[in-house]
Amino acid sequence: MSLIACSKLTKHFGDTPVLRDIDLVVEAGEVVVIVGASGSGKSTLLRCINVLEPITSGTLEVDGKRLGERGTSPRAIRRETGMVFQQFNLFPHMTARENVMLGPRKVRRQGRAEARATADRLLQRVGLLEWADQRPSQLSGGQQQRVAIARALAVNPKVMLFDEPTSALDPELRGEVLQVMQDLAAEGMTMIIVTHEMRFAEAAAHRLIFMDDGRIVHEGHPGTLFANPPSERFSDFLGHVKT
Amino acid sequence: MDFRWDVVWTAMPQMVEGAQLTAQITLLGIGGGMVIGTLCGLIMAFRLPVIHWLVFAYISVIRGTPIVVQAMFIYFALPMAADIALSGFVAASLTLALNAGAYITEIVRGAVQSIDRGLTDAGLALGLSYPQVLVSIVGPLAFRRTIPPLGNQFIISLKDSALFLVIGVAELAQQGEQLTAQTGRALEIWTAVAVFYLAMTFSLAVIMRLIERRMTIL
Repeated sequence: MSLIACSKLTKHFGDTPVLRDIDLVVEAGEVVVIVGASGSGKSTLLRCINVLEPITSGTLEVDGKRLGERGTSPRAIRRETGMVFQQFNLFPHMTARENVMLGPRKVRRQGRAEARATADRLLQRVGLLEWADQRPSQLSGGQQQRVAIARALAVNPKVMLFDEPTSALDPELRGEVLQVMQDLAAEGMTMIIVTHEMRFAEAAAHRLIFMDDGRIVHEGHPGTLFANPPSERFSDFLGHVKT
Repeated sequence: MDFRWDVVWTAMPQMVEGAQLTAQITLLGIGGGMVIGTLCGLIMAFRLPVIHWLVFAYISVIRGTPIVVQAMFIYFALPMAADIALSGFVAASLTLALNAGAYITEIVRGAVQSIDRGLTDAGLALGLSYPQVLVSIVGPLAFRRTIPPLGNQFIISLKDSALFLVIGVAELAQQGEQLTAQTGRALEIWTAVAVFYLAMTFSLAVIMRLIERRMTIL
């Protein structure tokens, strides 16, 4: 059974359609990279999968739970999906460790000691254990994003969603974040990533999706798509991001 | 021109009594105002259906009328309209609470709405419920932002309590008026009354500043 299944998913903001008839199936362990020009709907698609945006029509199923069915609240779906944001969105009044502990404490009902152990294990994994007592404002952008990844992992999600995780970072800080993501992919985490990092896509993605005007236009192996762009629109897009 | 200190000393016990009453009314007023303002502010920030229109009406009435009129209404008009007779002290505290509550509503609403929407998204994405996001994330951050404007409001409320002399409450300003009539020494009495108010507002300002300093880490 696939981990994520959207069928005929549409999303309108008022009268403006942002997503049109999206059919998307993601299997466990798959790494899917979504690319497209800004306004193509890729971030909205991620936010819909996490139910941060209500969908207008169509169906969404995460880990066998269908949104809107009896007993499947948006919360039930969000618990299975971790999200990493472009602007990190760390809680500024908490230390790095407290940021990571919040999910286990409130969502997984772990005790303080257990949540602390979870947090320290994950901070270790993203290489930031010695920064655990710092507040977000004392960390660099790359460090903040790594804490944000640890925070999302802490509730044990089945799939991780990344919304342009390196776009707000200086070029020299992107590598450390991409490295953490690549490690996650290598460990078999299911991931959907919206990014402009084509080299990362080529190295880590099993599947590349190109979106345009709220639709999935192309889908395939990144190497193949890069080598033989199937449309002028796609090769134009590649030309823009590569420069 | 001579300043007669003896007038001030003789008047002192009565003024201290007045200052105590002013302090009591102010504390009840801002305490009640905080309860009303926090509840109503959250209702406004999250636009709870129907009830937020009631809150909007309440704020409009309070902000749109002078506090003297509000005090007069609660003390003199309410007994006639609804057979509710309140003592001067209760009427004064209630007026101040309702008045401060309206302004604190706006302070709380503004603070909650100023918190980056992305933080709420991050909390919800973890699987937290809306109330959990409010308690753990938005609440503590918004609270810090309310402190400077709250300090302002507390001081305004303290000074506004002076006009309860119109409903005969023996607070500090009313004592000043009585003492002036008794002694005929307006200069000494009103100087002393002003110093009392200044001491109280200054203490409030210092307390708020201390709280603010403890909370600066954002």
